[in-house]
Amino acid sequence: MCLSNDVLLKMTGMEIEFPGVKALDGVDFTLRRGEIHALLGENGAGKSTLIKCLTGVHRMDAGSIVLDGQSIRLTSPQDAQRLGISTVYQEVNLCPNLTVAENIFIGRQPMRRGGIDWKTINARSSELMRRMGMDIDVTLPLSGYSIAVQQMVSIARAVDINAKVLILDEPTSSLDDNEVRRLFDVMRELKKQGMGIIFITHFLNQVFEVCDRITVLRNGHLVNEWGITDISRLDLVTSMIGKDMNEIYNLKKAEQRGDAPVVLAASGLGVPGKVESISLDVREGELVGFAGLLGSGRTETAEMLFCVQRPARGSVSMRGKPVGARIPLDSIKRRMAFCPEDRKRDGIVADLSIRENIVLAVQATRGFMKPMSMAEQQELADKYIRLLSIATPDAEKKVGELSGGNQQKVILARWMATQPDLLILDEPTRGIDVGAKAEIQRLMLDMCRQGMSIIFISSELDEIIRCSNRIIVMRDLQKAAELDGEGCDQSAILSIIADEETGREAV
Amino acid sequence: MKAKLNRETVVRSKLLWAVIAELLILLVGFIMRPDFLSVQLMTLADGSRVLFGTPIDILNRSAEITIIAMGMTLVIALGGTDLSVGALVAVSGAMALKFLRWDVLEYPTPGDYTVMPYFLVILVPLAVCTLMGAFNGLLISKLGMQPIIATLILMVAGRGIAQITTNGKQFTTMYTPFQQIAQGYFLKLPMPIIITAVVILGVALFTRKTSYGMFVESVGVNPNASRVSGLQSSRIILIAFMITGFLSGISGLIYSSRISSCDSNNAGINNEMNAILAVVIGGTSMSGGKFSLTGTVIGSLIIQTIVTLVYFFGVVSEAIMAFEAMIIAVVIVLQSEPVRKFFASRKRSRASATGGAVRA
Repeated sequence: MCLSNDVLLKMTGMEIEFPGVKALDGVDFTLRRGEIHALLGENGAGKSTLIKCLTGVHRMDAGSIVLDGQSIRLTSPQDAQRLGISTVYQEVNLCPNLTVAENIFIGRQPMRRGGIDWKTINARSSELMRRMGMDIDVTLPLSGYSIAVQQMVSIARAVDINAKVLILDEPTSSLDDNEVRRLFDVMRELKKQGMGIIFITHFLNQVFEVCDRITVLRNGHLVNEWGITDISRLDLVTSMIGKDMNEIYNLKKAEQRGDAPVVLAASGLGVPGKVESISLDVREGELVGFAGLLGSGRTETAEMLFCVQRPARGSVSMRGKPVGARIPLDSIKRRMAFCPEDRKRDGIVADLSIRENIVLAVQATRGFMKPMSMAEQQELADKYIRLLSIATPDAEKKVGELSGGNQQKVILARWMATQPDLLILDEPTRGIDVGAKAEIQRLMLDMCRQGMSIIFISSELDEIIRCSNRIIVMRDLQKAAELDGEGCDQSAILSIIADEETGREAV
Repeated sequence: MKAKLNRETVVRSKLLWAVIAELLILLVGFIMRPDFLSVQLMTLADGSRVLFGTPIDILNRSAEITIIAMGMTLVIALGGTDLSVGALVAVSGAMALKFLRWDVLEYPTPGDYTVMPYFLVILVPLAVCTLMGAFNGLLISKLGMQPIIATLILMVAGRGIAQITTNGKQFTTMYTPFQQIAQGYFLKLPMPIIITAVVILGVALFTRKTSYGMFVESVGVNPNASRVSGLQSSRIILIAFMITGFLSGISGLIYSSRISSCDSNNAGINNEMNAILAVVIGGTSMSGGKFSLTGTVIGSLIIQTIVTLVYFFGVVSEAIMAFEAMIIAVVIVLQSEPVRKFFASRKRSRASATGGAVRA
């Protein structure tokens, strides 16, 4: 691992104050040429704020930025791009109705004879995507591709703008292992070309796999900067959260009684091309984990159970009564609840207040002619803000202005307020920090202890293993195996995901 | 936090600008003719005393647009538009006159009579317009048509239906109870003002005292999340279009009562554009989401104030449209985000300069 000392970017004494909060307080950050530098910290630590100073979104109150030996002053994202600072944000910020190629070149289309040079655009886009290991038709609309591909497209776009500094803000949160590896190859390649890369992530193993240097922020302050070999994983986590890791992960699985009644029974659910045919039972107070790769049918199964996607065949029953749902409302009335994977698209209603977001599902089951009184709404909202410790000054703040972890908590609150028998959580901990993650896991287990049943879908095997009473492994659009949650280890699940034969042996 | 400042104040500050614009226009009127703002008591032929003056006239004349725009606010908050409202005004008027006169060959002279029972004269147009609104709503919510295309159908067909209803003839009536709708007085005020107030109150209560308003905003902001949370957007959309249809019907009755006649070609002409304009000036975004009924009322008043002002100063009738457009353009530019930001930043920098804060 060669650490170059050739400083590319230096930020010193960065300070930003928002009304009531000091978001950054005297933070220094140094990026060298040809290094991958992890910027770590919990949500609200100031990572995003620091990045937004660097991309010209926020105006800083004090501090200086020196790029390539020259002091720079950024007033807009366009400024940053012109100076060679490119960013890929956590949530895909592209236009789904445009083609892949158009998305890569939007705003800087090569022209030829007064018209847009489509040939070059398509050819170069194809080439770029191939270099990232994606052989796809770049003339199709972006919306036809998975989130993973969309993420790669936004990286391709950032990389093509001859950047000196590339900022990756949680680019891996929606990628599977293969795609992550491919991304890392691309990152290493760019590093070799002398680009400085700032990598923000919540996955510590990825930090140790690909990064050269780590800077940790906490509560708007700089904690320290280390070379990758100078710090252990445990010390790193401790420095991020200021607490002992063991204390946070001191979770106990909810005990499961074998004689508990079956809450959810699904048989032969399927939609051609999405899920073959899946049957499962969930008992009262049981936490069933769904493991499997992206596109293995986990999300599709959840969506069929809740009737977001109406199953073409099969049946679902709750406590012995058939649900027969046509729309999600029918499922909600049978006491089911569903936190979808894509928080921004299917979860939050960004412009409405926290209160309105929390009461939404309860109110939907009542119908709009039987409104909850304002007092009831406020009581409900305040109760869950307290219970889930949602960080907000009051219930009237718009949900769109909260951090990812807090948005997730609001959606969780929306469903807890309906007092469901079965709660389906699709990647509830994606893109949120270690502390909030542990909090959500603890909440799930508490709810199970109180008799709620939970279906928990996650890409992170260790959290599935940590929480589940039973684990269902999905592969190739069907259920590949069902494992007991006790004494199950990661390698057993991995081998099932990877290959059928070894999978059987492992069971 | 900066985002919070901007976004939270968007609707409110748009509303603020709308109020300022309205006051400015009134001020201009006042400066040029001090009697522009005067309201007096006037004695009618039957001895009753009623209020009279330009402000009353503005309120009276804005009734049709304000009433339609109440429904349009909901439709726009859902991310749609309704182009058929003007045609529905014509349908409503034609239906009413048809039931008043029924067969002009049998009853050739207009007079103080109605052929069909009076309640049908009122109820049938309202029912037909509500059904037409339902037709719009079903095309959009069940067949997934684009609102502009779906409502274009009735925008064109509606006037045809109105023509057929009265065999292409312009019926007139002298039936007093019908004329009272627009020409009568109640509580010293012209009847349309009273009807408008009732409609505003009704829509406000329906949207804010039930959860309908929140559901509309939720579907307008994020239809996917709303569906997953159990909202039935098709029903919500259907209701919004039915309300708009119904309100267009009321508007049509007022209009035909004003002219004691029906006019399939000119009734409600441009009403759709004016209603949309009123909603937008009022601060509700065309892309859907949060809506403001108060804003819409002010938007409608601005439009009518401009029209009145223009008439008041005797601008030649050919130039009226251009003149109106000019003032509206100024209002909308004043409300646009860059302009509002410009004023906001000037205010902020002045504040920080006096506060002595250091800014990079």
